[in-house]
Amino acid sequence: MNVQEKALQEFNSTGYPTVKNESWRFTDLSRLNNHSFDGIWKNSDISFEPFDEIYIVFENGKLSLDKSNLDTLPIGLTLKSIKDYKELSLNSLQSEVNGIINLNIANFNDGYYLKVEDNITINTPIHIIYLTDSLNFSNCLRNYVEVGNNSKITIVEEYIGDDNSIYLTNSITEVFGGNNCDIGHYKYQCESNQSFHFQTIEVTIGSNSFFNNHSISIGCELGRNDIRGILKGENSEIVCNGLYLLKDNQLFDTHLFMDHAVPNCKSHELYKGILADKSKGIFCGRILVQPDAQQTDAIQSNANLLLSRTAKVNTMPQLEIYADDVRCTHGATIGEIDEKALFYMKSRGLDDFSANALLTFAFANEVVDGISFKPMRKKIEQSIEVWLKKVL
Amino acid sequence: MSLLNIKNLHASVEENEILKGIDLIIKPGEVHAIMGPNGSGKSTLSNVLAGNESYQISDGEIIYDNKDLSELDAHERAREGMFLAFQYPVEITGISNMYFLKAAVNAVRVHKGQNELDAMEFIDLIDQKKQLVKIKDDLLERAVNSGFSGGEKKRNEIFQMAMLEPKMAILDETDSGLDIDALKIVADGVNALRSPERGFLVITHYQRLLDYIVPDFVHVLVDGKIVKSGGKELALELEENGYVAFEEMK
Repeated sequence: MNVQEKALQEFNSTGYPTVKNESWRFTDLSRLNNHSFDGIWKNSDISFEPFDEIYIVFENGKLSLDKSNLDTLPIGLTLKSIKDYKELSLNSLQSEVNGIINLNIANFNDGYYLKVEDNITINTPIHIIYLTDSLNFSNCLRNYVEVGNNSKITIVEEYIGDDNSIYLTNSITEVFGGNNCDIGHYKYQCESNQSFHFQTIEVTIGSNSFFNNHSISIGCELGRNDIRGILKGENSEIVCNGLYLLKDNQLFDTHLFMDHAVPNCKSHELYKGILADKSKGIFCGRILVQPDAQQTDAIQSNANLLLSRTAKVNTMPQLEIYADDVRCTHGATIGEIDEKALFYMKSRGLDDFSANALLTFAFANEVVDGISFKPMRKKIEQSIEVWLKKVL
Repeated sequence: MSLLNIKNLHASVEENEILKGIDLIIKPGEVHAIMGPNGSGKSTLSNVLAGNESYQISDGEIIYDNKDLSELDAHERAREGMFLAFQYPVEITGISNMYFLKAAVNAVRVHKGQNELDAMEFIDLIDQKKQLVKIKDDLLERAVNSGFSGGEKKRNEIFQMAMLEPKMAILDETDSGLDIDALKIVADGVNALRSPERGFLVITHYQRLLDYIVPDFVHVLVDGKIVKSGGKELALELEENGYVAFEEMK
């Protein structure tokens, strides 16, 4: 039995994770069982706008060379389908294997392999675009990123869906950074509002390195990000920021896990959630400081703004600290629009919608403002504006 | 013709009646001061005028610029030229002072049938007005009132007033928390904005502010009622004798 057959067998016996599993206790996946996800592949009708010259497009989970632009790859950069490196896509992960991961291994369609050689700075952002509109489709992707020593790159993963489609995106992205590298990783999830979305991101970086992640989640009916950062070399830093905008009956779950294995590293997490209607947000931030990881500087913050009385948030910081000379802070808040601020704005001539929109935008802005890749920031600002018009 | 005509105004917060029958007429160009002890209803009056929905009018009426004020929401009052300088300006993180002001100025302009100012025109207007209260550029870039000192917050209120050019300005204890230098700057800003078309209602606890913003009329508010009205000399009398004599009058 090969790895894929074994994964399928395991999935068939366990199914999706259930609420009995501690890590999934607020995220009930039982509605996934109503779908078979055996839809047939088709070309995608979704349009997209690349940020720059280099982009790779997955059309319903399959790399489309026609839609991608990989003609002008700079020296020192490899970007192609992971199918050429199939053994990598069947690698075991650091994360605990669960039904979602087994399903990914068993059914994976495609993904990208990206490698930056040592001493290379790639100035053009690498735009990864996933277009999904095949009905009942199972979109399993496996991505592998390797960034060499003294190298720099920015990667944007954008998930775009069609609101009429029900499908499942199940994506795994592994990132390995060497020493003295600088990796920007943006995720913009704007899937169909009837879809299901799961992504596991596992990042390992060496010494003197920086991994900067921003995850913006607007789409899907039910979804989860699992992000694990492993600091393997000293003087490195992981920034992991995010924003989730939820409405209707959406549920979005963010699980972060920062693993400090060595001394003198930083991990900074800032997550903000804005929840309308009957939506539900889950945030779990685990920080593990291993016995050797002295001088760790870990900051975690999760703030939520509820726009309705029926929206709900479960937020859980989990700090496990086995070293004694560290700075670890965490904070979680759940609040509403401040009535005093609202009156202040109205008393200056802003109507109800404008005042609410401005205050809500102000809440999100701390995350948005931290996005150093400007075209991305602009895109997020625009989508927040559109989103606010729908919910306020 | 009056700009603001308050007739037998009764207002309450959470069922507690705070204002118990106020009559006040302010004509264009006039500066009225309302003085009163703590708890007399000064801030309630300013909040009722600005349209704070936490306050309910239980009786009486307010006619502003020939309109029944109770029919206008807070933002409509602002667009019609009513301005309240807050006693405690609210800190709003995440939005710059400039961005907020541009949204406010343009909301008022559109209401008046004027074109929206673009970025360049807006900066020109800022440059014109910022001298009035000696506001620094970095204060404009920073988040609204966020981390501002007490004096900076009050200056920012007057700066907003200068930008919005209201017909009727209410200053709610603008002097509280100001040292003498900041008080002078704020008062100079207000005096520069005095005009034959504009009415002012200056609400204060102390006479000190009225040395710098000299009112045409002074009213003493005690327990939700105006118990005495007079000229500017009434403020001096109050400073000397306190509110005790008036509290016995109620």
